[in-house]
Amino acid sequence: MSALIKKEMRLGASILTYLFLAFFLMTLLPGYPILCGAFFITLGMFQSWQSAREANDIVYSALLPVAKRDVVKGKFLFSICIELTGFLGMAIVTLVRMTVLSDAAVYRQNALMNANPFFLGLALVIFGLFNLIFIAGFFKTAYKFARPFVSYIIVCFLVITVGEALHHVPGLGALNAFGFAHLALQLTLLLGGAAAYALLTWWAYRLSCARFEKIDL
Amino acid sequence: MHIVEVKNVCKTYPAFRLRDVSFTLEEGKITGFIGRNGAGKTTTIKSMLNLIHTDSGEIFYFGLPLSGHESEIKQRLGYSTGTVSWYPRKPIRAIVDVTRRFYPTWDEGAYRRYLALFGLDENKKPIELSEGMKVKFNLLLALSHRAEVLILDEPTSGLDPFSRDELLELFRTLRDRGVTIFFSTHITSDLERCADNLVYIHGGELRASCPKADFLQTSGRPGETLEEVFLRLEREARA
Repeated sequence: MSALIKKEMRLGASILTYLFLAFFLMTLLPGYPILCGAFFITLGMFQSWQSAREANDIVYSALLPVAKRDVVKGKFLFSICIELTGFLGMAIVTLVRMTVLSDAAVYRQNALMNANPFFLGLALVIFGLFNLIFIAGFFKTAYKFARPFVSYIIVCFLVITVGEALHHVPGLGALNAFGFAHLALQLTLLLGGAAAYALLTWWAYRLSCARFEKIDL
Repeated sequence: MHIVEVKNVCKTYPAFRLRDVSFTLEEGKITGFIGRNGAGKTTTIKSMLNLIHTDSGEIFYFGLPLSGHESEIKQRLGYSTGTVSWYPRKPIRAIVDVTRRFYPTWDEGAYRRYLALFGLDENKKPIELSEGMKVKFNLLLALSHRAEVLILDEPTSGLDPFSRDELLELFRTLRDRGVTIFFSTHITSDLERCADNLVYIHGGELRASCPKADFLQTSGRPGETLEEVFLRLEREARA
């Protein structure tokens, strides 16, 4: 298991994947659709898939003494590591905004989404969609990634648009809670996002294993 | 003893069909796999490495079916594809450091010995290597985890005569140490110089699988070299 992750990190990954993790800091930007930070983190991961494909990584991995499903597992473990690291960064910044910066005027006057547990839940949904649409889509062929990535971008920006605007719908103002207001609802939404992430990722992994097993390299 | 057994392997592509290929590899022998371009050599080798799905047939290594024992079998296999380079922009040192973790049998002493023998620089990247050095790098990885069977897809293509000579000499040395070698080629002089056995494929069908001497006796005419036999057989098949 550790050998698989080590392979992904040292041979398969692009440096941009690690650099793009810094986009969690977008959570601090006032007046900006902060959910885009999650998208940029997945854009960084996409760079790794691109460089891995150019390096014949999939065939090399398939020739190693591991089962084919372990090749898929390695890719997923790497993606999950990056996603959860990005999520951790977003969560820390969100906590800062919920506490010491909760009354900052630049955030109070923000028409877009506030950084709160609901935002974190949606960030997890975006990561789950990346795993399902892009990664599982890639494993249909193990070399074509344009269509899965474009499909993911479309769905991702739909989620971002809906997420950023939802609190303007009458009755849904609590979604944009500041500080620790509406905490029970906010935490429920975060848990819902975490459950969606787990489900989407599990589904993506199963689908990827089945697809990768069928293709010729 | 048959260390590898390929039984009735079939694979259909839109424009090509591998038909009922069966042969065995003997332990500690060099088997040359010959056929012209597009005859089915790479498809057969990919089947043997489980990189493609065969329509039917079975492949056994060390008496175990490849299906269901892939990981343990691959621990004992080495492979090389002459024309493909892995991670072209990563230093050899990094590739080796990652690869060794997958092999409990990794022999650091052997790795250092072959590194010196092949004249490879760990700080170089595959993109900086010649075709011959790429083959040697693949062999270095295979030999460092004490592979018992080497499966090599056209390891001598692209090599200069001196590198080819060195490589064939290495094959003979490895055979003497008990390593089984299966290599595809379309260069008949490679077979003349080091192969014990031959597997000959034409148009996706196996035409021969036997010791080299038997092949020359049964298919050759008096005074014909191996190359002349193959050329005549190919011409006859086309006619």
